[in-house]
Amino acid sequence: MSLAKNKIVFEDCKASCVEIESFSILDNQSILVTGGTGFVGKWIAEMVSYINFTSNLNIKLYLLGRDIVKFKDEVPHLAEKSFINFIEQDVRYLHDLPSDLNYIIHAAGSPDNREHVSDPLKTIETFYKGTQSLLDAASRIQDLKKIVHLSSHQVYGKNETEQLISENSFGPFEALNIANCYAESKRIAETLCSYYKNNLRLPIIILRPFAFIGPYQDIEKPWAINSFIRDAILGGPIRILGNGLTERSYLYASDMAYCILKSLIDGKIGEIYNLGSSTPISLNELAIKIQNQSGSKMEILTRSSKDYLSVSKLVPNTDKIKKELNFKEVFTIDEAINRTILWNQLKRNN
Amino acid sequence: MKKLRVAILGSGNIGTDLLIKIQRSEFLECVLFIGRNLSSPGMARAIAMGVKVSDESINAIVKNSDLVDLVFDATSAKDAKMHWDILDKLGKIVVDMTPAKLGVFCIPAVNLHEVIEHRNVNMITCGGQASIPIAHVIGKTQENVEYIEVVSSIASRSAGPATRLNLDEYVDTTENGIKHFSNVPRTKAILNLNPADPCIDMQTTIFAQVENPNMEYLQKEIDIMIEKIQAYVPGYSLLVPPVFENGRIVIMVKAQGLGDYLPKYAGNLDIINCAAIAVAEQYSRSFNNIK
Amino acid sequence: MIKQILISDPTLRDGNHACAHQLSAEQIAIYSEAADKAGVPIVEVGHGNGLGASSLQVGLSKEDDKTILETARKHLNKSKLGIHVIPGFATIKRDLVNAIDIGVEVIRVASHCTEADITQRHLGYVRERGKEAYGVLMMSHMASASVLVEEAQKMELYGAEGIIIMDSAGAYLPSDVQEKISALVNGLKVPVGFHAHNNLGMAVANSITAIESGAKILDGTARGFGAGAGNAQLEVLVAVLEKMGYVTGIDLYKILDASDIAEKKIMSTVPTIKSDSIVSGLSGVFSGFAKHVTRISNEYEVDPRDVYRELGKRKIVGGQEDIIIEVVMDLIRNRK
Repeated sequence: MSLAKNKIVFEDCKASCVEIESFSILDNQSILVTGGTGFVGKWIAEMVSYINFTSNLNIKLYLLGRDIVKFKDEVPHLAEKSFINFIEQDVRYLHDLPSDLNYIIHAAGSPDNREHVSDPLKTIETFYKGTQSLLDAASRIQDLKKIVHLSSHQVYGKNETEQLISENSFGPFEALNIANCYAESKRIAETLCSYYKNNLRLPIIILRPFAFIGPYQDIEKPWAINSFIRDAILGGPIRILGNGLTERSYLYASDMAYCILKSLIDGKIGEIYNLGSSTPISLNELAIKIQNQSGSKMEILTRSSKDYLSVSKLVPNTDKIKKELNFKEVFTIDEAINRTILWNQLKRNN
Repeated sequence: MKKLRVAILGSGNIGTDLLIKIQRSEFLECVLFIGRNLSSPGMARAIAMGVKVSDESINAIVKNSDLVDLVFDATSAKDAKMHWDILDKLGKIVVDMTPAKLGVFCIPAVNLHEVIEHRNVNMITCGGQASIPIAHVIGKTQENVEYIEVVSSIASRSAGPATRLNLDEYVDTTENGIKHFSNVPRTKAILNLNPADPCIDMQTTIFAQVENPNMEYLQKEIDIMIEKIQAYVPGYSLLVPPVFENGRIVIMVKAQGLGDYLPKYAGNLDIINCAAIAVAEQYSRSFNNIK
Repeated sequence: MIKQILISDPTLRDGNHACAHQLSAEQIAIYSEAADKAGVPIVEVGHGNGLGASSLQVGLSKEDDKTILETARKHLNKSKLGIHVIPGFATIKRDLVNAIDIGVEVIRVASHCTEADITQRHLGYVRERGKEAYGVLMMSHMASASVLVEEAQKMELYGAEGIIIMDSAGAYLPSDVQEKISALVNGLKVPVGFHAHNNLGMAVANSITAIESGAKILDGTARGFGAGAGNAQLEVLVAVLEKMGYVTGIDLYKILDASDIAEKKIMSTVPTIKSDSIVSGLSGVFSGFAKHVTRISNEYEVDPRDVYRELGKRKIVGGQEDIIIEVVMDLIRNRK
């Protein structure tokens, strides 16, 4: 069963990796991924594994994370790869980095909002101290070519607009709301990036991720699409909490991994790019799609405090990343849901 | 032989790089690494190396006075003055990395044996360590030198906020150093920051206005001097040998770092640290009666 | 609405680059007087690289800073006396204190376009003394618009009352000027200025583009007397601005007279765009290198165009004139 699961991931990488030849520039280069054992880290490892295998390259990865054992347990087929090295460390207390590094993808820190409200201090520390420790250590590396800092769409604050969110659409902010600790610390992390870019000349680019979906993303995560899929796999009903008219968009995991790696090559230093899908979908539509794809007819329930009239929209304008990185979303939302359900079903049956 | 017991005051880039270099020394042992913040990257490095650390600043030395023979002061000019008041009374030797100018100026290739008669030695500036030995040779080999000028270019990334804020002090101290070692009355120091990527190595040009240059003698003495400097700064080299052009002698040297704590392009930091280690080692040799 | 443009005239500063810093006290007196009569708001004087820069590295001045400043001071009544100051060359104690004591009123503190932090102390000192402080970003073609905005914002915080970007290499096309000046006007509270060089024949056009993009300060020199291919020609600039309806406060006839006097009395040759200057501009090399490159290339018989190309490739900044010798030595070595 795990073979079939891995095959899905391999095929997804293949489908997303449209300009594979552009990665030859990374041959014999070392990439560090902080948060290397998480969702982003696993997908970067899968994509690099696909590229190394297909193009016969030697791109070296350092995956930095706190729980390497868990990673080895979850993805043994990646853990055994010789191009992958592990650094077991908490990014907050990082002091030195391997001196042969050429690229850094800073993806440490959980976007899980349950953790944010339960342990806000840790959230703030991870993004503030963690980013500072990392960039400080990075400033002592000789041949560093690029650092990709994964920020968050939450830095945009409250965006109650019908428009797609572009890289300069900032809304208002409430610092006193504890739930905003994630967004606030992501903002200070961006300011740190500016400092290290401006004063220490670090070659930093910032990506602001929106929502992703795909294998390796825990379906127990508290976000709409994950719960819908979990509900569907469990046989329903699918529960929509709050406003069903809310519009989101989802970028498939292999498209995400490809785009992040592509940003190492084509991203312009000092620039900021939205990373996500620009195709909006309402939660109501999303529930129906998941309902349809899961085969069985199940109930869709809406639980909301009031009748919502207006649409809340959290969808990026991705013109910039598409233009400058020549990026295209390969997977449609239907394919993304299909692959994710299939992979998770295989995982459950394993 | 007994290793000289040294303490490093200041856990920033200079202090941490000194610490790494000392680990390789046959003559020195770092017994105390001192800063103000136990969680700084330098502290973490020292702890990982098993070196005793403290966050109590100068008080750490007062408390452990018996353990320490020599102190590298890698803080700031302002703090170094305050530290010296205390360290002087304790009878410690101080190798001062700041431009506080309290002690005797030292260029190891020129006056290593004389400075160890003193207890406070000042390492001038990074650019000074690169250019002054050359200026000294010019002063020694040429007659009627009217004017010497040194220009250093360093990578932007190797110049931290303190360096940038204190350019004037750098210029002033370097000019004094050149005067002191070359006996030339008029001197000028210029510093350029170059942001090119990849980073440039530290490069220094020495100009001298001389009417009748003795190039042969100069060349010979320069070669000897370069060799002397290379004995304690491995990354130091002659880039353009002496030429006489447009009424001026021009010599260019380059200093590449060892890549100990900061990358190799930070030759400016490396050269002053290598020089400081050479001084401390000379004290150690002297105490052990080694020539 | 009257559209006022502030003109600063560095004929007696940038022009020093064009004559290997050999402007005499007498010449300084003559032109200062003529510019003052024409109502030029700011007359900038000094060594080409500014205060305290007379050196073997970039060239020794015929006159020392004190003589230059005192001479200009004596002959300026209405016009303000300005200087250019680069930290790393000039220190506060050695140079700036005296200059202000002599009576300099406008101080432009300059750095390479990515190194604004080094201007903090100097700008602070100028404000402390109650003088007019401007920030200058040199070689601005080497940084993106967003980096220029960040650096300029620092200078603004340090107390600069206006920020001037210099096209020190004469490398800009009007579209570059438009992009960068607009970004600066948008990102800064204080007025923005532009200082042109003419390597690609764009100096006046670029200056006008700067104004149309929101700049309020322009530099121009008599006959374009300045480093390399020269600057924007002041008398042309004044005429064009007048035709476009801008106000400069400068009397056109009198500035034409001043430029005639300058041509006769202070220039051994009027700047033109020499073949080498075109390659220099294309390579993005600091205009102040021109005299040095010509001399050293001649002496060692290498093609100056190759020297410019190599200097551009190495991203050499202003103040690194010593590298010219190294590049020439390298070219000779590689030829063998």
